[in-house]
Amino acid sequence: MKFNPKVLLLAAVVALVSLGGWFGGLASGFTQCVTLAVFAGVISTTLFFWERRVAAAFLGVAILIATHAMTLQSILKATELDIIFFLVGMMIIVGVLKDLGFLTWVIQSIINRKNMNGVSFTAILCVLSAVLASVVDEVSSIVVVLALVFQVCDTLKLRPHPFVLMAVMATNIGSSATMLGNPVGIFIGNKAGLTFAQFLVGATPVAMVSLVATLFITVFWFRKDIRSMTLAMARHRRMGLGPVLKIPYKTGLFILLSTVSVIAFHHEIEHALALGGAANKNAFLIMTPLIVAGILMIWRPHRARHYVEKDVEWWTLLFFMLLFAIAGSLNEQGITQNLADSLTKHVSGGPRGMIPLVLLIASLGSAFVDNIVFVAAFTPVIQALVERAADYSVLWWALLFGACFGGNVTVVGSTANIVASGLLEKHGHHPIRFGTWIRLGAIVGLVTALIAWAMLLIFPSPRPASAIEPDPAPVVEELPSLNG
Amino acid sequence: MERVKRNADIRLTAFFGVGDVSPHCGEMSRDEIVRRLVGTVYRSGRVPPTGIDETVAAVLKRETDGSTVIMDGLALPHARIEGLAEPRVAIATSERGIVWPGEDSAVHVVFLLLIPRDKPALYLQILRALTTALKDDATMRTVAAMTNAGDIYRFFESGKAYLPRYITAADIMSRDFITLRDTDTLQTCVDTFISNHLSEVAVLDRDGDLKGVVRAGELLRVCLPEYLLWMNDLSPIANFEPFAQVLENERRTWLSEILVKEFPSVTPDTPAIQVAGEMTRFKSSKCYVREGGKLVGVVRLPKFLNKIFRE
Repeated sequence: MKFNPKVLLLAAVVALVSLGGWFGGLASGFTQCVTLAVFAGVISTTLFFWERRVAAAFLGVAILIATHAMTLQSILKATELDIIFFLVGMMIIVGVLKDLGFLTWVIQSIINRKNMNGVSFTAILCVLSAVLASVVDEVSSIVVVLALVFQVCDTLKLRPHPFVLMAVMATNIGSSATMLGNPVGIFIGNKAGLTFAQFLVGATPVAMVSLVATLFITVFWFRKDIRSMTLAMARHRRMGLGPVLKIPYKTGLFILLSTVSVIAFHHEIEHALALGGAANKNAFLIMTPLIVAGILMIWRPHRARHYVEKDVEWWTLLFFMLLFAIAGSLNEQGITQNLADSLTKHVSGGPRGMIPLVLLIASLGSAFVDNIVFVAAFTPVIQALVERAADYSVLWWALLFGACFGGNVTVVGSTANIVASGLLEKHGHHPIRFGTWIRLGAIVGLVTALIAWAMLLIFPSPRPASAIEPDPAPVVEELPSLNG
Repeated sequence: MERVKRNADIRLTAFFGVGDVSPHCGEMSRDEIVRRLVGTVYRSGRVPPTGIDETVAAVLKRETDGSTVIMDGLALPHARIEGLAEPRVAIATSERGIVWPGEDSAVHVVFLLLIPRDKPALYLQILRALTTALKDDATMRTVAAMTNAGDIYRFFESGKAYLPRYITAADIMSRDFITLRDTDTLQTCVDTFISNHLSEVAVLDRDGDLKGVVRAGELLRVCLPEYLLWMNDLSPIANFEPFAQVLENERRTWLSEILVKEFPSVTPDTPAIQVAGEMTRFKSSKCYVREGGKLVGVVRLPKFLNKIFRE
């Protein structure tokens, strides 16, 4: 078997992180160092050996148990089954929407449009990508919009790459707008105790402004390709962009709107059902996709097995569960507490001063590994900070935007990017080069991160109801800026 | 280097002795030589459980299904016999040649093979051993000219007549196949499918390397955009005329756009069991055999089944 030099790189990263943690004061004992090494190993595997990430997570969990870094019970508790259930439910609902033709209708309604040009198509594509990503999920969204891109570009005999890039970037931005758009959203929302409505207030405006900025940047960046599309559309006007069809959509639209509406009022429903307290945090938010999926499978029993087996990404969900467990070990071993201490000690300016730092770390991290990895690791740190002062809850938003927007920087930055690359190859096109992606991605990532930073500074961000009010005495001493 | 590892335990001569060799047979018909060789096997003592007439009938029936002349001058009449414990072989040579029905030239070496019905792969293994030993026309003529049964036996004893450990893709593949170029249009492809009654064809690139396959199913994919196939029930769009789209696009659609890059593919030395596994995994009735990127053969499921279970 040929030796892969990436193995050495992986070993070097693991050693560096473990030693860095030791010397930096994050990890002081053997178990803490092993915990850090396992976490670094799993993260590095997602970077260097993407297809072996689940295997690495399996082994990582085993090492944690064997070295007494975690018990079996604490591993099971840390798998965040509530989030997994939510994602399973949403994936089944999206499967039903596909099956019923709703997503086909979305594409067809654009194909059927007359008198489009390159700019209007690009604008529609970006808005559609962002909106779809915010109400279904980023992966389903990118599959749908790329089907549209391939249909249009194949018909017009155009290179699809610029439009794929634009769609992916809009998808990543749109996925931050609601809790439904990205596993990161539901993870942060659930961990922080944020409601769907708070997400609409805290995340949607930032996502919208970032989308507009991205649209301007990408339209300028790909102006030649957009112009070519305008010319091709003019030449092709008589033949159209595809078959003109009428697709039934009302049932699918009703299901989607009903689901989103119920989720939007989950907080009120939880109150009405007296589902309060930490034990039932966001209970109805988690249950709604399961309830809707259950009803849909009762309605369509002959397809129920298909939805569960084919539409649910069990591979990804299994990875998430194990990853959450490994990230939980950082918390259990007190490493995240140590990091929180270190941050409050070394970063001046209090919560506001930490916004750019969290944005930067989350963006850079998400640019190179799956954003959920970084969010899972950073969540206990922010939880520890919020326990000290409620003002730190602004960092939840910084983490969200950093993770979602940072995903635009490289081709491996988010699941949507990887799916898009795969679809490009499947359609017989060469993948987008790393350099091509990062040139535009870095600009979009930087601009959108700056927008998020500015808006988080200017506008008050919604705080989770459960955030503990600051205890004035220690906070005044340690964090003078909070009083300001 | 020999591609298939030899099984040192099994030589071809394990299945016959000097007494099973009949050199310099006179002028005889095919049926006569078959009857004579079956008689030789019976005389050797290791008798098939069926009677001599039934065995001769089984061998001749196989001949009516298709000639068993496997190379110029060499015939391999054979039959699968119920209850036979081990393969049995008898050899006859004729310098003047035996007229074989359906063949233009005379046969000089006849190799009768009786195979146990429950060991279907043995036929192909023995066939490989035999063709390796009689590797060319000159060798075969040398054997045909041998006047002594012991010499013929020793030829197989000392030569490379070992049974391969397993049968490979090369043993069961067909070297006749139709290909298209990736620069061919959909129109050419449809014409090829119709005129050759095909449902799948291999697509090569400019260098002759196998790039993928085009299946009739893929043509339907061109008719129906991908996003329509997300719907389980297409009856709401029953009025849609997909084939009009194909007619419109067939001259402007190149095979490189629609070819499938994931298909069953093996190398010539891949064991037959792996070939079967590939076809099962891809739910395909064809497996492509390539060597250094070049397509060298195609294993077709019907022929595969015939070779393993019937021939």
